[in-house]
Amino acid sequence: MVTLTIDGQEVTVPRGTTLLKAAESVGTKVPHYCYHDGLSSPAMCRLCLVEVEGAPKLQPSCVTQAQDGQVVHTGSPNAEAMRRGVLEFYLVNHPLDCPICDQSGECKLQDFVHAEGREHGRSREPKRVFGRDDFGGDVLFYGDRCVMCTRCVRFMNEVEQDPRLTVVERGNRSVIDTFFERGLDGTNWSGNIVDICPVGALVSKDFLYKQRAWDLDHTPSICPSCSQGCNIDLHTRDNLVQRLKPRTNLEVNAHWMCDHGRHNYEFMNRGDRIEAPLVKEGDRHTEVGWKEALSTMLDRAREVGGTVRAVASPFSCNEDLAALKAVVEALGGGEIVYRLARAEEEIPLKGMPTLARRRDLAPNGTGADALGLERVGDDDGTGGLETVSSHDGVVLVLGDALQDQAADFAGGASLFVYLGTHASEAVQGGDFILPVTTFAEQEGTFTNRVGRVQRFWPGLQAPGAARPAWLVLGAVASELTEAEPANTAAEAFSRWVASNEPFAGLDYASLGTRGASMNEPVSAAGD
Amino acid sequence: MAVQVKVMRRPEPGRSSYLRAALKGMALTFKHMVNPDKVTQQYPEEQTELHPRWRGTHRMEVHADGRPKCVACGLCPTVCPANCIRLVGGEDDQGNRYPVVYEIDEFRCIFCGMCQEVCPVEAIHVGRHFENAEYSRSRFVYDLDRLMEQDHPTTLLWDPSDPRSE
Repeated sequence: MVTLTIDGQEVTVPRGTTLLKAAESVGTKVPHYCYHDGLSSPAMCRLCLVEVEGAPKLQPSCVTQAQDGQVVHTGSPNAEAMRRGVLEFYLVNHPLDCPICDQSGECKLQDFVHAEGREHGRSREPKRVFGRDDFGGDVLFYGDRCVMCTRCVRFMNEVEQDPRLTVVERGNRSVIDTFFERGLDGTNWSGNIVDICPVGALVSKDFLYKQRAWDLDHTPSICPSCSQGCNIDLHTRDNLVQRLKPRTNLEVNAHWMCDHGRHNYEFMNRGDRIEAPLVKEGDRHTEVGWKEALSTMLDRAREVGGTVRAVASPFSCNEDLAALKAVVEALGGGEIVYRLARAEEEIPLKGMPTLARRRDLAPNGTGADALGLERVGDDDGTGGLETVSSHDGVVLVLGDALQDQAADFAGGASLFVYLGTHASEAVQGGDFILPVTTFAEQEGTFTNRVGRVQRFWPGLQAPGAARPAWLVLGAVASELTEAEPANTAAEAFSRWVASNEPFAGLDYASLGTRGASMNEPVSAAGD
Repeated sequence: MAVQVKVMRRPEPGRSSYLRAALKGMALTFKHMVNPDKVTQQYPEEQTELHPRWRGTHRMEVHADGRPKCVACGLCPTVCPANCIRLVGGEDDQGNRYPVVYEIDEFRCIFCGMCQEVCPVEAIHVGRHFENAEYSRSRFVYDLDRLMEQDHPTTLLWDPSDPRSE
């Protein structure tokens, strides 16, 4: 450990810590472009220079290691004058097209110039013009806006380890470019270079001109596209998910997420939702209130009895699955199965061995396995429901939309209850069709492939009368067993923990935004 | 201190003709009939001249080729205190940012003029105009075409170096 003084504050950091990280630990953010936590430090943006007493000139804080007894000034007149000068140089060729730039509002050049830059530029020469370049994939490049931090080049070289980008030309003509016409096509992680670009040079085609960054609400969530469980932020506006961004969690996904997960969000915005509980009367369904729907359903369930067969979904959170299991047990017990689509192969990220787009294309297969649910069906997530469909007792379906099933699904069942978001053809025979929320509209937890339990938060308003499945099923279970229902997600979570030995000791509040691992990792689903 | 009540003395009913007061009032009326400095305007034959900084209903400036000048930067809906501007941006066939939807609810608008002040491309303006009567409420939501059709003069922005517009 070394002890040094930063802006008059004494701080002790491990040997080898850079001045930039040491300053961060006392709450001083040193402006920087080229430095990124997940990449190497070339010290080329010259913006993080700080004054170190005794050093002949300003030192780049992103590569200078903290030494015992060092006295560092990040805001000394020297350092500030230098930053003002560097920022003025950045603006010599920057087009200042903030009104039409997608980065506007989350742009580091905007932030730093607003904080410390000159009010007016003094450059009289015309700015160089590169125009825009399609890099392939989802990435557009606006060369004029680039500040040459080379984060994107280093990401492709060091993290994705598929060098597709480079700096061509020199001096003020230098520009990021791809090799010949190869571009970024076929890469699976290149969406990250849009995130790490500190200015609007690299923008997403999917998000181009769609929304302004300052209008978006950010909700911490978990990527639902595979069993890796990458931490993400849902960026929402007008009750629609506008884009997904990775959220830093060094133990799961560091700063990255794959393009497959990044662009798989339209299903959260689907409009054709079930919005009210539907009860079958004769040949047609009637919309009723929750109270009536659940009490009629309970009456029917007590009347018909018999064994239960249930279909769950690996897209449901742990609480939902535990509540489903409690209902099945309260009705007399039975088998619960789930179906999970499996990709041909993993998509690894070479620079981070623990991160990949996993084969299991759902977030909570491990959670389902841990509850004793049985995986059935084919690798494309279809089939496997013959025994459920032909069951003559009670059939419960949670979340699985039954897209591949015929209209006579569970035709012989004494009671067929469907809880889901969308009504496919196979659902039309359901005696009760109950609207539940998607993961984007409720609180809950997913268990990722290595048994890490991670929370997500609601970013969207649920449509109509849709309620979280743990609330609906918890109410049903409490009526059947005369136990207290779970009224909050935290209570539902504690019930799930109580019913699952491997997860004993986990506490909802202390999971926080980073999650925690279960005591004994169960074997990851399907691996 | 005791509360004091002022007692008003009025003529008893039937003891005053009010003739003097009536004549006084009529004299004033007739004096205005021949007053050369009268302020009555014969609207609508005679139009009021509005102040250069009068803020009325909006108008969108257009390019020579008929496209709106707006680049859908989103600053006016952001700055609008009444939240009356709805804007959806998009990309046109030349790759430029443009407003797919631009609507101003003139009923909600408080005519503060901040949209004009904030506009980086001088596209949206409040106008020197006040005759806005319509036959239906829905007509008060001005869409982009309607805003581009408006041809009334636009408002002069406040100039800090000439705060009183002199």
